[in-house]
Amino acid sequence: MNQPKTPSRFRSRSDAKTPLTPSIVSQFNAVSLGSPQKRADISNPFLVRSRTASPVKRTTSAAVPQQTSSNAGVIRKGGVESRLDVVSHDYHPPRPELKRSRSTPSTRERSLSHSSAHPDRFITAREDAALPSSLSSGATAAAANASTSSPGHTARLANATGVPLNKRVLAYHEPPPASSSSNFLSAQRNIARPLYARDALPSSNGTTSTKSRRVPTTPERVLDAPGMVDDFYLNLISWSTLNVVGVALGESIYLWAADTGIVSHLGDAPDDTYVASLDFSGDGAYLGIGLGTGSIELWDVASSQKLRTMAPSSDATSAGQVASLSWFNHILTSGHSNGSIVHHDVRVPRHVVATLQGHTGEVCGLHWSPGGEVLASGGNDNVVNLWDGRGGDVGSNTRGAPKWTKRNHTAAVKALAFSPWSPLLASGGGTLHTYHTGAQVTGVHWSVDRKELVSTHGFPGNAIIGWAYPPLPSPSGSGSGTGSGTTGSRGTTPTPTPTPKLFEIRDAHDSRVLFSALSPNGEVLVTGAGDENLKFWRIWDSRDVKGKKKTVAKKEEGGARGILGIR
Amino acid sequence: MATSQAPTRQAITLKGSTNLVTEFFKYAANTILFQRGVYPSDDFHMVKKYGQTVLVTQDLALENYLDRILTQVNKWLLTGSVTQLVLAIISKDTRLPLERWVFDINLVEPPADSAEPPPPKPESEIQAEIRYILKQIVSTVTFLPIIDDPTVFNILAYTHESADVPADEWVDTDPLAIEASKSQQVKLRSFSTDVHRIEAMVAYRYEG
Repeated sequence: MNQPKTPSRFRSRSDAKTPLTPSIVSQFNAVSLGSPQKRADISNPFLVRSRTASPVKRTTSAAVPQQTSSNAGVIRKGGVESRLDVVSHDYHPPRPELKRSRSTPSTRERSLSHSSAHPDRFITAREDAALPSSLSSGATAAAANASTSSPGHTARLANATGVPLNKRVLAYHEPPPASSSSNFLSAQRNIARPLYARDALPSSNGTTSTKSRRVPTTPERVLDAPGMVDDFYLNLISWSTLNVVGVALGESIYLWAADTGIVSHLGDAPDDTYVASLDFSGDGAYLGIGLGTGSIELWDVASSQKLRTMAPSSDATSAGQVASLSWFNHILTSGHSNGSIVHHDVRVPRHVVATLQGHTGEVCGLHWSPGGEVLASGGNDNVVNLWDGRGGDVGSNTRGAPKWTKRNHTAAVKALAFSPWSPLLASGGGTLHTYHTGAQVTGVHWSVDRKELVSTHGFPGNAIIGWAYPPLPSPSGSGSGTGSGTTGSRGTTPTPTPTPKLFEIRDAHDSRVLFSALSPNGEVLVTGAGDENLKFWRIWDSRDVKGKKKTVAKKEEGGARGILGIR
Repeated sequence: MATSQAPTRQAITLKGSTNLVTEFFKYAANTILFQRGVYPSDDFHMVKKYGQTVLVTQDLALENYLDRILTQVNKWLLTGSVTQLVLAIISKDTRLPLERWVFDINLVEPPADSAEPPPPKPESEIQAEIRYILKQIVSTVTFLPIIDDPTVFNILAYTHESADVPADEWVDTDPLAIEASKSQQVKLRSFSTDVHRIEAMVAYRYEG
C-alpha cells in the first residue's frame, strides 16, 4: 500500500462520499449497535454457507442495489440480523471494485471490515474456540470474493478454521523488555509487596509440595486427648517399638495400641504431682515416667504395674521436674528442671550412676544416639550439649563435662534427633535451625529410610514441615568428633538454601504442636498439642520406596478410624 | 481556496486525532502495565496528564519499546489500516494468555447528507472521556483476578491485509485468545474524536 501519493486522509473523505458505501455502513452500524448480544448466538453455518455460494453465481453488479434493499427488508423482520450481516457482506461483487481507481477499493475494503469489526468487538476472545463461523464469516466471505477464483470454497475453509482472511494480527518482532532485575531490588520489592501478592502462604491445611511426592495433609486418625498439658518443656508422647503409644494426660498415663486401637489406662501419678515426661525402653516392655516432683517411676507395660520409684537424689524436690527422659539399654537418663542430667541404672538399687551438670536451664530435650555412644541434651539455656555415653558407669558422684557444646541456638532446644542412617544430629532450638523454619521448633524426627527429616512447629503456622536432608548439594558437615566422635552436628548453621522444604502441613493443630513421636516403622508421626488432640500423620509412606521391607507397615491399620476417645 | 477550507480542517483533525489516539494508547498501556503488575511498581513515576496523575514507566528499554510500537501504530492510524489494538497479558511461564485489553478503533463516518461538517468536538470533552477510560482501567483492579505468576505483555495490532507492514519489524502472530469457556469480558467506556472512535474492553481468564 505504498502506492497512493494522495494523502490518505483525502481518500478517507472521498470514500465516505461514494454513494453506496455509507448507506451500507450505516445499516451495519445500526444493526450491530442494535443487537450486540444476539450476535453471539449466531451459529447456523448452513445458512451462511448457502448464502455465501449464491452471490458467486450472479456476478453482475446490477444485483447490488436489489440485494441491498432486500436485506433491508429482511432486517426489519428482526431476530436474524446477524446472519444478514453476513449476507450483506457477500453481496459486494468483486467486479465493480476493479473498475474503480486504485485507491478506492482499498478504502472501500477498509470501510467494510471497519463495519465488520463490530461483531468482532463483542466476541473477541471467542474468535478461535467457540464460534468461529459466526465471527469471521462475513469478513472472510467478502475477502474471498475479492481475492480468489473459488470464493465459496475459501469461505467455507475460512469458516471452518476461523481465520479472518482480510485481517492480519501483527505483533512487534521483539518481545517486550524484561523488567530490570537486580537481586537487591527484587528482594526489596518482595518486602514492599502488598500482602496479597506475597509468596503464597498456602491455605489452611494446604501443602506446598515441591517434589513429586504428595503428603496427605489431613491426619490419618485423630484421638481425643482431654487434659493434655500445654507446656512446651514437657515430653508427653512416646511410641514404643511394640507399637504402643503412651500418652500422659495430666496425672494419668494411657496406652493406645496401634495394632488394635485399644486404649488402656496404665496408671496414675501420685496425688500431689503430674506426669512431666515419659519414654519407653528400647524393647518396649517398660515405661519410664518422669514426675513433677523429680521422681521417676518405672512401669511394666504388659502387666500395668509399677515396678519401682527412683528419686534422683535425697533432695529430689530441688532437682525439679523430670522434663525429659531417654533410655539406652538399662540406663534411663533423666533431665531435670535445674539443669542436671542423671543416669539411672534401673537394674540396681543404687540407681544413680552419674550426674551431669552442663545446663543452667531446664533440660527439655534428651536423646541417646542409636548406638549409645553419645547423649545429646538441649536446655532452656539455649545450649546443646553432647556427652560421652561411655562414662555412664563410672560412679555415682562423677560430674561429667560435656564433650561438645553448641550455643548458637536462640531459644530452648527441645527438638533433638539422631539420624538413624548417618552420624548426624538435628537440633531444633526455638527459632533457629539449619532450615529457616520461621517458627518455633518443637520437635524433629529423621526419616528411617529417606534423606529427610520432619519438624513440628509452634506459632505461627502450627505446622509440620518436611525437609530434604542435605539442604545444599554439598553436604555441610560441621563435624564435632573427639574420641568416639561419630557425631557431626548441624544444629544451627543458618544456610541460605534453595528450598529444602519438601512439604508443609499448615495448621496441623489448633495450637502449637508440642509433642511428637515417630512410629517404629518410621511411617507415621503422632503429634499432640494444647488443643487436646492426638493426630496421626502418615508422612513417610514406605509403599513408594523400593526395596524396603514392609514388615511393620500396616500394623496400625487395625485400629478404628476416626475420632476415638482415649480416655 | 474557500472550497478547500473544510477538507483542510478535516485533515488537521485527522492528524491531530491520530496523535491524540496514539498518545492515549501510550498512557493506557502504561496504566495497564502498572495496575496489573506486569512491571514492578517502582519502575513507574507519576506524570500529570489529562488533568490527573498517570503512572508512566521510566524504564528506558520499555519506554523505547512502546515508542517504537506506537510510532508504527500512528502510521497505521493515519492510513486507517488498523482496526484493533490488543494488549495481551501472558503468564511468563506457561505462556497462557490471562488478560486481553482490546481497543477497537473505528473511523467516525460523518453523515453523508449534511454538507456542513459537524462542529469539532472540544478538546476538553475528549480529554474527559479519556480520563474516564483511564480511571476505569484503574478500577478494574477491583474485579480482575489476582495474578500471582510473573507475566509479560504483548501488543497486537489487527490490521487490514492491505496494510503497509514493515516486514522485519512486525510479524503475523497468534491472536493470544482466551478460550471462550474460560473467559469473562467487561466492556469499558469509549471515547471519540472527530475522526476516531475508540472502544475499550477487557477480557480475562476466569475459571470459576
